[in-house]
Amino acid sequence: MTAAKPENLKIVKEFGRKEILFSVARQPNSNRVFLGASDAKVYDLDVMAEKPEPVAMLGHESYVTGTALAGKYLISGAYDGRLIWWDTETRQQVRAINAHTRWIRGVTATPDGRYVLSVADDMLCRIWDVAKGTLVRDLIGHAPRTPHHFPSMLYACNVSADGRYAATADRVGKSIVWDLHNGRQLATMEAPIMYTWDPKQRIHSIGGIRSVAFSADSQLIAVGGIGTIGNIDHLDALARVEIFDWQKGERVHELAGDTHKGLVERLVFHPNGDWLMAAGGDHGGFIQFYNLANGEIMKQDKAPMHVHDVVLNESADTLYAAGHGKAVVWSLKGEA
Amino acid sequence: MTRKNWFCGSAEHSVSRRSFLGGAMAGAAAMTAADMTVLDVLQSPAIADELKRQDKRVILFWLAGGASQLETWDPKPGRPTGGPYRAIQTNVPGIHISELMPRMSQRLEHTAIIRSLNTKIGDHGGGAKLMHLGRRDESAIKFPDLGAMIARELGRPDSSVPDYVNFYTATEGRSGGTGQSGFLGARYAPMFLTTESKPENLGLPEGLTSADHKTRADLRQLLSNQFAAGRKSSSLGSHNEAYARVRGLMSSEKLFDISDEPQSVRDKYGPTLLGEQTLVARRLIEAGTPFVKVSRAWWDSHGQNFETHLELVSELDHVMSGLLDDLKDRGLLENTLVLTLSEFGRTPTINASLGRDHFPSAWSVSLTGCGIQGGSVYGKSDEDGRTVADGEVSAGPIFATIFRALGIDHDKEYHFGVRPVPLTNPGIEPLDELIA
Repeated sequence: MTAAKPENLKIVKEFGRKEILFSVARQPNSNRVFLGASDAKVYDLDVMAEKPEPVAMLGHESYVTGTALAGKYLISGAYDGRLIWWDTETRQQVRAINAHTRWIRGVTATPDGRYVLSVADDMLCRIWDVAKGTLVRDLIGHAPRTPHHFPSMLYACNVSADGRYAATADRVGKSIVWDLHNGRQLATMEAPIMYTWDPKQRIHSIGGIRSVAFSADSQLIAVGGIGTIGNIDHLDALARVEIFDWQKGERVHELAGDTHKGLVERLVFHPNGDWLMAAGGDHGGFIQFYNLANGEIMKQDKAPMHVHDVVLNESADTLYAAGHGKAVVWSLKGEA
Repeated sequence: MTRKNWFCGSAEHSVSRRSFLGGAMAGAAAMTAADMTVLDVLQSPAIADELKRQDKRVILFWLAGGASQLETWDPKPGRPTGGPYRAIQTNVPGIHISELMPRMSQRLEHTAIIRSLNTKIGDHGGGAKLMHLGRRDESAIKFPDLGAMIARELGRPDSSVPDYVNFYTATEGRSGGTGQSGFLGARYAPMFLTTESKPENLGLPEGLTSADHKTRADLRQLLSNQFAAGRKSSSLGSHNEAYARVRGLMSSEKLFDISDEPQSVRDKYGPTLLGEQTLVARRLIEAGTPFVKVSRAWWDSHGQNFETHLELVSELDHVMSGLLDDLKDRGLLENTLVLTLSEFGRTPTINASLGRDHFPSAWSVSLTGCGIQGGSVYGKSDEDGRTVADGEVSAGPIFATIFRALGIDHDKEYHFGVRPVPLTNPGIEPLDELIA
C-alpha cells in the first residue's frame, strides 16, 4: 500500500437511500456512521458492511442537519430547533433540548468532547456543556436580517483542533472567529461574493457561506460556498473557497476551480496541511482537493450525489460522505 | 346552479346586477352588435351609477415564476415531499397553512384557499397566459386579461384615476406579466410600471406652471366646445375624454407617492419593494382604481427552494397581512378582493439542489375579502401533493368565482366582430361554495 493522497481518490462504497442525508458523524476507528436524514431520523449503520442495515433513531420532527460525537454521546440537531443527546451504545435518547427558535444548521463538538456548538437561523451559536446539557454561552454577532430586509441564516460552525477557537459563517458572507473560552470576537472576515443578491431580474438572494474549517494549526480558516450567480433560479456558478490567515486579517487564496458548479457544503483540512478538501454540488456533486501551498487543484471528481457532509478518518486516508439519497465512502489509498 | 349572491352580501348590494342590467342591455342591444367594446353602454348614467355604487376593487398578488403550494397554502408536513417547514393551525379550526405564513394564519377568516388546481401547462409563458386570461389562448383572437375585464366592468367613465395598474419591477418573466386588454382595446390596457413605482412623465414639463397648464386646458376645451357645437360625433367625445383622463392621471400622481403615509401604516407593509408597491395599490383602490396587480417575481426555485421561499413567503405574509389589516381598518375589505395567483405550483419532489421544479398538476391559489366565503378550503390534493384528490379545477372556474364575488355576470358576453365572447368560456361555473 502506498501513501494516501488525493490522486488515488476512488469510491469504495455507495449506499443508496431514499432520504436526503444531511450530516454524518463517525465512531472513531470504525466504519460505524450516524447519518442525519430528511425523514427526521438518525441512522446508525456500518457503512462498509456487505449489506448495511441502518437502525433508525427517532426523536426529531424535521430534517436532521447536524450530528456530532462527544465522548459516549451522539448529539444531533435538526430544523425542529432541537438538540438530542443519544447514548451511542443503546441508541436511546439521553436528553432533548429546545435549543434554538429557528432551524439548526450545524452541530460540532470540541476535540475534548466537553462542549458541543450549535448554529441556527436565529443567528445564534450556542455552546452547550455535553455532560450537563446546559447552555454555557451564546456567541452573538451575525445580523438577523440581510441588507435587503430578508431573514438571514447562520449555516456553519467549526472548532479549531486545539479547542481554543470557534468559527461561524452566515448567509451574507460574513464569518467570525471567536475565543471559545470567553466568547470574544477575535476576527471578522468577509466573502461577499458567496452571497448573490439579484436586485433586478429576480429580486431575491441565494448563496451564503455553507462551510467553514480551521487548518490543523489553527492559523488558517477556509470558507466555502458558491460564486456570484447570474441566474439565481439555479446553483449556476462555480463552487468557491476562500482561505484567510485570520490572525493577520489576510485573504490567502480565492479558489474557484474551473469545472464544478454548486455549493461547497463541507471543507476538511488534511491534518498535516497537505491539502484542503471541498465537497458539495448542485444537481450533481463534486469533490475537490486543493494544494494549500499554491492554491491549485490537485484532484477533482464528480461525486455520485450532491454532498452535504464529509468526515475524514484518523489516518486521513478515507472519507465518509452523506448526500442527496446516498452515503459514499472514498479511499485515498494507493495500490500496493 | 343557483344564481344568487351577486354582490358582496351587504344589504345595500343585494340588487341582482343581472336584473338591473337586463333592461339596460336590451336597450343597448343594437349598439352592442358589432364593435362591442361597449364603452358607450357603460356611459349610460343608470348603469354607471350602479357600478359606482358597488365600488368593488381587486388587488392581485401575481407570484411570478411559480410559488410553491407546499410552502404556502397546502403544506404536507411529515411526508417525503413536504419539505422542512411545518404546518401551523390557523384561526379557522381545521385549516393549516405553512409556518412561513404566521400572520396570515391569524387572518384566515377572510380567505378562501383553493388547493386543487390542475392547469396542465408547465411552462412559464403558457401558464402565465392561462392564469391571466382564465382560458387557453387562441391565435385567432386576443382575449383581454383579468385586469382588463375588471377595469372594463368596474371602471368608471368619469374616473380620474387609472382603471388598471400593473406593477412588475423584476425583469424575469415580465413579458408574461405585461397584461393585455386584447379586443377590448387600449382603453383597458394597464398602466404598466416597471423600473419605478410611480408613472414617469406625469409631472408638468419644466417651465410650465400649473396656472399656465390650466389656462391651456381651458382654451383647448373652449375651442373644442365651439367646434363640437352642432356636430354629432362619437370621435369628439372620445377626444375630450382622452384629455380628461390625461388630466386625471396627472392629478393622480400623488397616489403613487407614499412618503406622506404615517410610519405606522408603512410599517404594516414593511420596507421591501413589494410592501411599498402594495401600499400604493391600497391608495389606488381607495381612490377608485378597480384593478391593481402587484407582481412579485421571481419564485422559480429550481435550486434552494426552501431558502427562496423563506425570503419570499415571509415577505408575502408580512405584506398581505398588512394589506388586509389596512383594508379592514379603512372599511375597504368587504369591497376589495385580494388574490394570490401564479402560473403554476412547484413539484412535490425535491431535487438534488434542494429545489422544486414546475408543477401544474395540483397547486393552490387564494381569494380574500369581497364576496368570498372566508375561512374555507376548496378541493384537496393527495397526501403527498402529487395529484388532485378532490375538486379539480382549472383557471376558468377561478375566474368565474372572482367575477361572481365581484357581482359581475361571468356569462356576460363581449363581442369580437360577430363572435360572442363571454367573460369565461361557455360551461364554466363559479365555485359556489366559496361565494359569501
